Amino acid sequence: LTELSVLQAVRLKGRVSRDDLSATLGEDRFEVIDRLVASGLLLDGPTLRLSPEGRGRLEGLLADERSRVDTAAVLAAYDEFRSVNPEFKALVTDWQLKDGQPNTHQDALYDAAVLARLDDVHQRVTPAIAAVAFQLPRLSRYSVKLQTALDNIHAGQTMWLARPLIDSYHTVWFELHEELILATGRTRENDDA
Amino acid sequence: MSTRPVIPLDGEASSPPDVLGHKGHGIDMMRRNGLPVPPAFCITAEVGARYRAEPEATIDAIWDDVLAGLRTLEAATSRTFGRGPHPLLVSVRSGAAVSMPGMMDTLLDLGFSDDVEKALAAEGSAEFARDSRRRFTEPYQRIVTRPAPADPYQQLRAAIESVFTSWDSPRAVAYRAHQGLDDSDGTAVVVQAMVFGNINTNSGAGVVFSRNPMTGANEEFGEWLPGGQGDDVVSGTVDVEPIAVLRSQQPGVYDQLVSAARSLERLSSDVQEVEFTIQDGTLWLLQTRAAKRSAQAAVRLALQLLDDGLIDEAETLRRIAPMHVEALLQPSLQPEIRMAAQLLATGLPAGPGVASGRAYTEVDEAIDAADRGEDVILVRNHTSPDDIHGMLVARGIVTETGGATSHAAVVSRELGRAAVVGCGGGVAESLAGKVVTVDGNHGEVREGSLQLSAWSEDNTPELRELADIARRVSPLRAHARGDYPRLDRHTEAEVRNAMASGHSDVVSASPLLAMLAAIRVSS
Repeated sequence: LTELSVLQAVRLKGRVSRDDLSATLGEDRFEVIDRLVASGLLLDGPTLRLSPEGRGRLEGLLADERSRVDTAAVLAAYDEFRSVNPEFKALVTDWQLKDGQPNTHQDALYDAAVLARLDDVHQRVTPAIAAVAFQLPRLSRYSVKLQTALDNIHAGQTMWLARPLIDSYHTVWFELHEELILATGRTRENDDA
Repeated sequence: MSTRPVIPLDGEASSPPDVLGHKGHGIDMMRRNGLPVPPAFCITAEVGARYRAEPEATIDAIWDDVLAGLRTLEAATSRTFGRGPHPLLVSVRSGAAVSMPGMMDTLLDLGFSDDVEKALAAEGSAEFARDSRRRFTEPYQRIVTRPAPADPYQQLRAAIESVFTSWDSPRAVAYRAHQGLDDSDGTAVVVQAMVFGNINTNSGAGVVFSRNPMTGANEEFGEWLPGGQGDDVVSGTVDVEPIAVLRSQQPGVYDQLVSAARSLERLSSDVQEVEFTIQDGTLWLLQTRAAKRSAQAAVRLALQLLDDGLIDEAETLRRIAPMHVEALLQPSLQPEIRMAAQLLATGLPAGPGVASGRAYTEVDEAIDAADRGEDVILVRNHTSPDDIHGMLVARGIVTETGGATSHAAVVSRELGRAAVVGCGGGVAESLAGKVVTVDGNHGEVREGSLQLSAWSEDNTPELRELADIARRVSPLRAHARGDYPRLDRHTEAEVRNAMASGHSDVVSASPLLAMLAAIRVSS
């Protein structure tokens, strides 16, 4: 399972440093990483990447994981996620744009109203993650990462809402969305982007 | 009540836009000048305002007047509402005193029943009757939020109420707040006999501008949709033809249309945007309003209208907002350059800005190209989380699927990249390897590496001409150089101070902007 977690994290990040990889996994996995590099599944460098073999290995592990879950339960959790997904993306968009122009963040009332909507989104997505984690325990980590991002936002560090390359609320959400699409055997083309 | 609740728009309504609504006022003006406009009447904005307080009582009180208005439409068209053999269909449109494009509701093709559909099929074709009924039922259910009643009169009543109510829709409220418009009134309603661009191949709908609203060139500009209705053109969901196609298909009608647009321009002293329908070779004008325009066009058109004697020098300057000039002084994709480049894809503008480069469809290839020093545009079907590294090295981002809130759009904006999303299937393949320009302001991808440029007060002839005019009109003359007191900034406060100190001439880094501020302060 650890190997799956590491390979999947590298796949979702695309290219990632060892430190950032440890951070997103929540613990050091240097031994596993070294083993995966040695076996040629990960390409080493300033950042780690999946090799074609690593990608193949990951697909196999994911298929194996999928075969052991209750698909109907995962689909139900995915539907729950999808019911809150538009509201989350809309609120991030409202955070970035005000009246169609880039939000200059000079209207504190406006910003506060947008961020208040995130608490509701968080309350709605948490049970969906709990339900899917019952099938795929690996995914419970997404709840932890969303909570961390939310705590940072509440502490006034609003870059944790949408900034790429850190585990901001949007980054984690985007990866969770990708996981759910994979877990239900769908593709994003047939789904919402 | 100070005016009649229902007023025929027969050219003699002679009431201002705050009574008839902007749309109703335009229709009455066109009728008065003998232009071909389908018969219409207006329920005044005063009724709309009263409706918000007392819906039922208000609509009951005016209903007989509405029916009388309907009788005048029947008489003018020799058709009958709600029955054959020649059934009358009507549109019900909102009309605030100030145009609020797309903010309130419009319902089309009201007056349907099974018998009406049969009668229309006998007059036109079964397909035409079916298509028109579909254009009625689907939007009706969406806007009124319940299925259309069988009785055409009930359809009309519910539609009028729905348009009145749309004054308080969240988007309309937000629009007025943003534009600083008064919230307390209500909307007028225009009920107009339908004409049909979907009746046969000799028909269609479109919009024509009396002059080009993008470049400001003195030439007609517009869109034409053969066999379509006006809502298709406005919705942007259907590919439309340039207006030149109409010129080759129906030259006589085209000449009539252009001459109508020009005469509306003279009557209103401003460049007009005219919605029209051609029904079996006959031209009908549905609506006219001052054209929305780019900053470049705002300046060029104001100068042309001055040359043509339609406005005076003071009005010419009033037509130029300081924000127009400020926008022109920033580097941007000039409309004449944009319009001359081939359009390769259109989608939703998702990340503001303009960027050029070679299109790559694979993240690793994009990263390698950027490492070689190339300017990269990343084109994907959609973006996955790991595409972030391709987005980071790209100057612009294009996707085939996804809306303005898609993950690709969110990340593009966060990175400050120009982005156009939802361009449709096949775009990645068709763009791959080409040098393109992504216009994240207009939602376009055009061929080539298009250069951005800025106007300057010193070197752009249009701005020099405006400054010359301003020096004749403004109470404060501003110069680029000379032996005068210096104005540090061109804010209204600074300008007011300078004038209060008795200065009539100053030196400014932006003489034109300083004088525009002076004119605003003193008016």
